[in-house]
Amino acid sequence: MPESDPDESLVAELQALFARSDPVPPVVDEAARAALGWRRLDADLAELLGDSALERGELVGARGAGGPARSVSFRAGGLSIDLEIHVDGAECMLLGQLSPGAAVEIEIQTLDDDLAVTAATDRLGRFRARITGGRSIRLRVPAGGGPASARAVETSWIGI
Amino acid sequence: MASARSLIGRASDGDQAAWNAIVDRFSGLVWATTRSYRLADAEAADVTQTTWLRLVENLDRIHDPDRLGAWLATTARRECLRLIRRSGRELASDDEWVLDTPTDDPLDGPLLARERDAALGRALARIGERCQALLRLVALADPPTYEEIGAALGMPIGAIGPTRARCLDKLRRSPELAGHSSA
Repeated sequence: MPESDPDESLVAELQALFARSDPVPPVVDEAARAALGWRRLDADLAELLGDSALERGELVGARGAGGPARSVSFRAGGLSIDLEIHVDGAECMLLGQLSPGAAVEIEIQTLDDDLAVTAATDRLGRFRARITGGRSIRLRVPAGGGPASARAVETSWIGI
Repeated sequence: MASARSLIGRASDGDQAAWNAIVDRFSGLVWATTRSYRLADAEAADVTQTTWLRLVENLDRIHDPDRLGAWLATTARRECLRLIRRSGRELASDDEWVLDTPTDDPLDGPLLARERDAALGRALARIGERCQALLRLVALADPPTYEEIGAALGMPIGAIGPTRARCLDKLRRSPELAGHSSA
């Protein structure tokens, strides 16, 4: 575009306006920098495959008391992890299933180390846990939790 | 700045300086993307955090480093939609693209001390969410590519140029700005 383009001077004005009125909050940038600390060192990623919160249709808007639970699924190699999230006030009840099933101790990590909780699966791979909502979580399944048992598995982060 | 490929590779090995360079480069794009979906500040912060965590977990899977900005904008947009649907809210329109209606919350407040800023803020409120969201991205200090803008807004790339021109024209013709020469 030519330099005399009046659009460009208006864009420059907007740039100055947004830089003053809506900069990225420093705390947001600090959190972004800190995110690198959560990279996986000794675990495979169980990728987020499905999330009913992203599906369209009648479920949209139906939540809360009596509403359907959100279901989320992850997969890493031969291991799949299905999770139902039931919102119960400020808390979330997580009902999960490892497939294939194995009795292991799952760690539910949050961005605040102090709040991590563990849940034991039964021999069919089922587990349940309660955790306060309004946070990001990921699940860590230790080595031995699946067919590809040589390494631990960590899920993608999800907000609950 | 080092190439995106090299920064991603180093960040994947835990190099904090390389990671910080990536954050510095795209922080404005991710934040502006969340602004397109009218999230409260705390929600925008959560979506931004999730977006960066998503990149951390995928550092070894970014196949096209030159398109990292579009990847981040797409991810931020998806996380905005996830949060909006999870909270039981509906999007303003069915096609995931905000309606072109005036909003009642212009960028007001004491930060806009200068008269011209105030006039711009009022004019922006008048041109509709669709134009606001687009111009918020267009006016980033590090201007995003059309591909990045399209990813942030879920908008076809071919529509961006004409929409940009139309939105700037609407802004210029708004009563708040018409008759003033831009500085």
